[in-house]
Amino acid sequence: MNLNLILQLALSGFLLGGVYSLIALGLSLIFGVMRVINFAHGEMMVWGMYVAYTILLWTGVDPFFSFLVSAIILFILGYLLQRSVVNRILDFPEAMQVLPLVGMAMVFENSARLIWGPDYISPQSKFALSSISLGPLTIDTPRLMAFSIAILITVLVLVFLKKTDMGKSIRAAADNRLGAFLVGTDVNKVYAVCFGIGTACVGSAGGLLVPIMPLSPYIGAPFTLISFIIVILGGMGSLTGAMVGGFIIGVAESIGPEVITNIFHGLGVDLEFPHTMKQVVSFFILIVILILRPQGLFGGKKR
Amino acid sequence: MVKKKMNRRTFLKYSAAFGATTAVAGVPTLLRAQPPEIKIASIQPVTGVIADIGISMRRGNQMAVDDINARGGIKSMGGAKLKLLLADTEAKEEVARTEAERVIKEGAVCLVGPFLSGNAMTIATLCEQRGVPFVMDVAAADDITRKGFKYTFRVFPTTTKFADSMLFYMDKIMKEKNISKIRGVLTNTGDLFGRVQGATFKKAVTDKKFPIELVGHIEYPLGIQDLSAEVSKIKALKPDILFPVARPGDAKLMIRELYKQRVELQGIISPGSPGWYEPEFIRDMKALADYVMDNVPWYNPIGKMYKEVNAAFSKKYPGKYIDTNSGYAYLGVLVIADALERAKSTKADDIVAALQKTYFKQDLMVGLAVAFDSRGDNINADTAMIQIINQSLKVVLPEKAAEAKYIHPMPKQLWERGV
Repeated sequence: MNLNLILQLALSGFLLGGVYSLIALGLSLIFGVMRVINFAHGEMMVWGMYVAYTILLWTGVDPFFSFLVSAIILFILGYLLQRSVVNRILDFPEAMQVLPLVGMAMVFENSARLIWGPDYISPQSKFALSSISLGPLTIDTPRLMAFSIAILITVLVLVFLKKTDMGKSIRAAADNRLGAFLVGTDVNKVYAVCFGIGTACVGSAGGLLVPIMPLSPYIGAPFTLISFIIVILGGMGSLTGAMVGGFIIGVAESIGPEVITNIFHGLGVDLEFPHTMKQVVSFFILIVILILRPQGLFGGKKR
Repeated sequence: MVKKKMNRRTFLKYSAAFGATTAVAGVPTLLRAQPPEIKIASIQPVTGVIADIGISMRRGNQMAVDDINARGGIKSMGGAKLKLLLADTEAKEEVARTEAERVIKEGAVCLVGPFLSGNAMTIATLCEQRGVPFVMDVAAADDITRKGFKYTFRVFPTTTKFADSMLFYMDKIMKEKNISKIRGVLTNTGDLFGRVQGATFKKAVTDKKFPIELVGHIEYPLGIQDLSAEVSKIKALKPDILFPVARPGDAKLMIRELYKQRVELQGIISPGSPGWYEPEFIRDMKALADYVMDNVPWYNPIGKMYKEVNAAFSKKYPGKYIDTNSGYAYLGVLVIADALERAKSTKADDIVAALQKTYFKQDLMVGLAVAFDSRGDNINADTAMIQIINQSLKVVLPEKAAEAKYIHPMPKQLWERGV
């Protein structure tokens, strides 16, 4: 077994896991408060990527700074989306909530194609190609930076929810919608702000990913799926769960194929676990956790 | 307003009335014996993971139709104009089938498409059932034409052809550079084309006992967004040459990861795949794109037809040029038009009979005239080895078509190029 390789894989998976956490945090926040799953999540992340890319193209400002603009624009988009679409479907049966949001995903996806074209773009940015050597290991600088900023944003969001008035209102509305309404909270506004924060999280994650991944209008869907897995795994609506889940999935997908191949070889079976089946690893973990803890790792009391 | 409730009787009444109206309205169309236009359908993955190439191919199809119409349409049928119906497979097999079904219902007499081999397989199966000719402009997997289909033809080379040419060129490079053995790692995407292309190359190397030792074979999903794990594995295997079968997104991702993880290589030589020759690859990768070689069914740089078509294409779509995909998309439509011209009919069997006798001279792409064997494969489809030198694409092999001499091994590793 090549230990250096496993360590390297675990490291890159862990760093990417930080960004996954931020993406899943947005989804979890929206679900925790409104009980709506944002199926346009990945597509909104792609919009965050394109905003950061456009700024890089026009002004040369690095995505590691312009992700803030992505966050603001996605906040506005999220706010408007909540007011115009999501707010109307809050009391619908779950199956009916899915359709408008899947529809919005298509709108985001194809409007991105109309605006920015279908080609895969890997813009040149300052840190895109730098890496740090650490003995036999290589640390990818943009990944490290994305990771650090993602963790910082996550902590800020958590502090916001705990300490500020708006944060407290959001938690109140999540806990008991009617109760919050009765004590004078503007629940509709709180919901819209909360949806905005959720999409701002995913927007900033998109900005941070620009130096790491090529962008194209159609890369969003896998991210919706992966953040959905993370959220279920961590416990629906649990923000800590989203963070921990992000790391678990990040590391598992990265080291999974290599570790399983090694196990095969250890058992004397000459089989390679193909990288095409990476997602099998995530789903396997998901199933195991759902069997042992149906509410997810950090899922609290049932509704 | 009084709302009328629809019950079974009213429904039947209305649908009968609707049926009658359409039947009456339909008569005049039947009376027009020779419609002034012939419908063919372009079915390409215009949205979804491979939308960039899908659009480029649809443009190739459309431009060919426009050019044929501008030259007076199908002359043997009174100058009938071609009309291109547009269909989108979304890069999904099931959508490919329903879209093909739709265009056939809308009256397409022949289908052209669809870039992805997996999509091609479902369309070919459907066309066989419906008895509609299907000309694959791009789609390489051998299997599609190994099913004994009567209505399916392929202008593009097969994966076997790719592997043979690849080894022919590799043999030449190894002899000229005195290389006796190569340690290689093969990577491919996990869709039908990627898998078959990878597997065929591997099989050709083993069957011919070719002195390439493939120490690793890594497969990853189409549309992957993170290749760090795969590249770490490549690094651990310490190959001389990387043989990647890729697509535009992952090709860029791979180059960047190879750079960041400082993977030392003598060369990056693709057994034949997109990703390495599109304008965006060179634009985004700059000097990192240099020295990449790709064994592709390329345009014929000295061809008259190529020069004309490319000039028009670049003018219409600034920043783009005719490449493997748009070139074959253009050629596919020309082959159909040529068959229609000789068939003098839009009946499926007449078109198939004409396609079987095709001998279409062209100098748009490398390879000789288009002619189909009994399976429907173009026997003269061929590939060239191209290389990016100083951020411009050059044909380097075969020598008779070469625009420059290939450079091997890479004189500078990726991170030594001052990007």
